[in-house]
Amino acid sequence: MKSQPAERLDPRAKILWRVTGALRALPLLAGGAFVSWVLLRVAEFPLLLAVLPFLAAFMLSVSLASVVPGLRWRRWRYEIRDDEVDLQRGILWVTRTLVPLARIQHVDTQSGPLQRRFNLATVVFYTAAGANRIPELSAPVAAGARDRIAELTREQDEL
Amino acid sequence: MNSEPRHLHPAAMLIDAIKTIRRSLSAFVIPGVAFLMSRGFDQGTIVLVLLGALVVAVLAAFWGFLSWRATTYEVAGGAFRLQQGVLQKNERTIPLDHVQSVDTVQGIIQRLFGVVEVRIETAGGGASEPDASLQALERPSAEALRREIEGSRRKRAEEEAAGPTIVRDLRTRDLLVAGTTSGQIGVALSLIAVASQLFDNVFSQSLAQRLVETLGPRSVTIALLYVLVLSLFAWLLAIGGTVLVYTGFTLSRDGDFLYIRRGLLERRETTIPLARIQAVRIVEGLLRQPFGLASLRVESAGYGEHTGVSTTLFPLLPRKEAQALLLDAVPEFAVTPTLNALPRRALRRYVFRSTVPVLFLLAAADFVSLLAFGFVAWGLAALLLLLPAALYGWLRYRDAGWALEDDRLVVRSRLLTRTTAIAPLRRLQSRVTVRSPFQRRVRLATFQARVASGVGGVELQITDLGSDAADTLIYDLRPGARRGEW
Repeated sequence: MKSQPAERLDPRAKILWRVTGALRALPLLAGGAFVSWVLLRVAEFPLLLAVLPFLAAFMLSVSLASVVPGLRWRRWRYEIRDDEVDLQRGILWVTRTLVPLARIQHVDTQSGPLQRRFNLATVVFYTAAGANRIPELSAPVAAGARDRIAELTREQDEL
Repeated sequence: MNSEPRHLHPAAMLIDAIKTIRRSLSAFVIPGVAFLMSRGFDQGTIVLVLLGALVVAVLAAFWGFLSWRATTYEVAGGAFRLQQGVLQKNERTIPLDHVQSVDTVQGIIQRLFGVVEVRIETAGGGASEPDASLQALERPSAEALRREIEGSRRKRAEEEAAGPTIVRDLRTRDLLVAGTTSGQIGVALSLIAVASQLFDNVFSQSLAQRLVETLGPRSVTIALLYVLVLSLFAWLLAIGGTVLVYTGFTLSRDGDFLYIRRGLLERRETTIPLARIQAVRIVEGLLRQPFGLASLRVESAGYGEHTGVSTTLFPLLPRKEAQALLLDAVPEFAVTPTLNALPRRALRRYVFRSTVPVLFLLAAADFVSLLAFGFVAWGLAALLLLLPAALYGWLRYRDAGWALEDDRLVVRSRLLTRTTAIAPLRRLQSRVTVRSPFQRRVRLATFQARVASGVGGVELQITDLGSDAADTLIYDLRPGARRGEW
């Protein structure tokens, strides 16, 4: 792998991802608990065996809310260069995406209710073959990135 | 330019009326059936229903007349203008620059009257700008309209004089071969399955019961026969479907436009501007590979309503002749480079990937057979699947390849069908590499290039190419790194 993209996401992203991870873990926990309950009460498995699904769900939930956000943040990098946007992400499957600015049709910034609490925003840019996003930038940085992409795109069009 | 607002052919009234009836039919069917059920089939009821149908038909015909009278179109001031609507007037203006293509479709009713439906598609693909459709026009006026719209875009007059030249047309023999090897048996089978389900529900259970009872003793033979007959039927259905769609397939080219004409009952004429073609695929279906046959598809942007819409450029031709056709029809895509093979170390991953599902199956089968029969022998039968799976992995490895030639990316891969995709570098919307932990350990990577197709996009993917090759593809194909015309 060649040199990584220069910029990182806003550090507050980690906190936000912990919150969303915890929220996402709730149905997981409920599901695990239900399966364990069924095994224990309906199928009458021994307690040690029946508790396994819940335990697995619990471990997954804890990692979602603790380790995963940090790892994810460490990997996530981006860079907006004069001719293309460079993205890197993914904890196990490391994905590197390059999008030529000349192919970008328009750019948005989005921020959901949780993101607004942390003053974060997502930059979404669209090509004719779908959207790419840079999540969790602090709102002013996101606005800057959006304007820069828009401006560079315009320059590329004039070529 | 003709600036007089024109009416459609009067057949539009009938077509509109039929559409209205068809629409209202779905609304009336359930109450109608309920009504019939509650009253029984006596004479009075039937007369009542017929009377109702007559009233609906007359109303629909009248409405058809009104909407025909209200519909006019014209080409004026650099725009196409369509006026519609009986109660709510609706005027649609499409600047001629925005027109992507003028297609004609000829349904069965249109054929009866010798008219065509003209569809005007815009570059927005239906999302930002609505497309326009004229239900019935006589061929000459349809041609005139097309010329008016396209004429504004054409620079050289000589092209118009030359007219489209036929690149290739499909012979009847090829049509039948295309049907028999289309591999759509699966689709047809599922259709039949659904139909038979309906059949079972609609008709009485007793008939099936009696059949089973009489045939019961020889049930295995019967089941086999049943499957055989079903697949034969499905095969015929697949052939029929192909014939219906591809009869009279003609590909012709006129300057910067491709014209595709096809269809047995419904004649379709599609226009594809060369400038909008993003990628070409040479698809070699499983059943067609032994005969060296292939079909050609094109991905074009802003066309059709769905993601990943690709159009058949030609349904069946010998693989060897594909190059010549591409040269005539879409010269930008006519390249035949020698492909770079994947590194040897990728073979292990390909075989691994294709055998893992079988290993899981094996484990599951062993477990089940242990529970059910008390021994694992039955589960071991799944071992027989292991070799074909490994072979499949090897085949996928052997057929995968990529090349760069004159600013064009060529990617070949196999699922069951072997597909060679060709796309110019300037059409790549984004380039992606993905590396899993396993791939990182053996210095391999997966490369994807996205190309626009329809409203969304499709991917050209090379799995497990060397890490360095992937880096070359993702970094060195950047706009600045190459000369000119980006």
